[in-house]
Amino acid sequence: MTHAIVPPYLLARIAAAREPTWARAAHAARATLETPREYRTVRSRIRMSVEEPGTLVFEGGPAPDRTISDARHLENLPGVRVRGEDDPPTGDADVDEAFDGLGATFDFYWDAYGRSSIDGAGGELLATVHYGRDYDNAFWNGERMVFGDGDGEIFVGFTQSLTVVAHELAHGVTEYEGGLVYQGQSGALNESLSDVFGALTEQHHLGQSAEEATWLIGEGIFTPAVQGVALRSLAAPGTAYDDDVLGRDPQPAHMDDYVQTPDDNGGVHINSGIPNHAFYLTATALGGRAWERAGLIWYRTLTSGTLSPTSDFAAFARATVASAEAEYGEGSEEVDAVRAGWTGVGVFDDGTDA
Amino acid sequence: MTEPTPDGRSQGGPEKGSQGEPDAPRRDGVIVVAVTVTRTGGFAGLRRTWHAEPDTAEAPQWIALIDGCPWDAADPARDLAPIGADRFVWHVDARCGDAAREAALADPEVQGPWRDLIDAVRAAKTEPRPPRTAR
Repeated sequence: MTHAIVPPYLLARIAAAREPTWARAAHAARATLETPREYRTVRSRIRMSVEEPGTLVFEGGPAPDRTISDARHLENLPGVRVRGEDDPPTGDADVDEAFDGLGATFDFYWDAYGRSSIDGAGGELLATVHYGRDYDNAFWNGERMVFGDGDGEIFVGFTQSLTVVAHELAHGVTEYEGGLVYQGQSGALNESLSDVFGALTEQHHLGQSAEEATWLIGEGIFTPAVQGVALRSLAAPGTAYDDDVLGRDPQPAHMDDYVQTPDDNGGVHINSGIPNHAFYLTATALGGRAWERAGLIWYRTLTSGTLSPTSDFAAFARATVASAEAEYGEGSEEVDAVRAGWTGVGVFDDGTDA
Repeated sequence: MTEPTPDGRSQGGPEKGSQGEPDAPRRDGVIVVAVTVTRTGGFAGLRRTWHAEPDTAEAPQWIALIDGCPWDAADPARDLAPIGADRFVWHVDARCGDAAREAALADPEVQGPWRDLIDAVRAAKTEPRPPRTAR
């Protein structure tokens, strides 16, 4: 994906300039224009609605630009393009679920935070489905979301859960915002942000309040043979499944139970339970729509440009407090809720002022 | 985690420099070959383990599979390239007699001889699964 800083129409104007003082700039602009590069137009849409009393409202906003490819059970990316933004449903459930899931996630980021797509600039949303054979995973490869079909024994697939699709897309957002190194605590924060915004996307899509939400990640992707409701629970980490083959959900909800392991990039999918639960505590303390206050504070923290890629839990927690203070003011109930959230999981000590 | 893995990590470091037939002591004239594959990470963060212990008749082809892998380039102590997110992380532990080797692999590295070995282990014997009854 190429993003030009200087838009092409401006380059053309500079290139055409005849003033002697602009000679060098004009030459450079002509050279830039002659260099083959891809210019994309950003999609937009108009939403019409009728507001009482009989007022027709036109609302312009960006629109997603989705492309779904089919790996046809090979492990080669991107696979065959099967559905673009203007194409009708294909009839392949995985293709259409991925398409719809990306659309719902796009809508969430735009409606909640005014963010257009992964890169904040209307960039393409790329996904590949039917990756590999019996492939038990969904992942972000640095430029696209990739979904296996599951093996039918543990997982029935991944695209049917909006939380999974939104989790993968959120990895892209985190990466575009400077990233969190995928190892140890910064990796667990990276994972947690994907779970948090995955859960919020679903809540936004269903119009649920913090009280109504399930706070589950990956509900409905296990086969009926597995004893478990989902992969992870932000409300109660460690309780999502307890199966005789898979074992018990290993997520801790408190620093006292932090898991040191060389597996899983240092337990990024395990210790994410701690920041996940801190978010849940914050969101439920504030109540209402979780994406509006708690979610906004987390989003501002991620996108502030001040978060180090190697942040640990404590640094991230302090950054959320700073974001809450900037957004709502010191001494606000939002700041109190954030502090209480991190205290509840043992990242802040009781009585310690962050 | 239900199954305590037959964890190769306590078995000492990888045996290096034995590219040919492993210098495997024989017990009763038999080379004991055992390979354990552990997969962690992935979106689900689930740990899965597969183990193969082929019988004597199959040992030569397994030794060939093991020797076909570039173990020195897959040192478990190295940092895996952090590309993307939710990728699987693989750990392979192979023993031929007293010679032990270990490897850590990022998911995109599981190709060629590594893929052949890992697929063979997964096909030889899946992790122990208690019979499921309808719930």
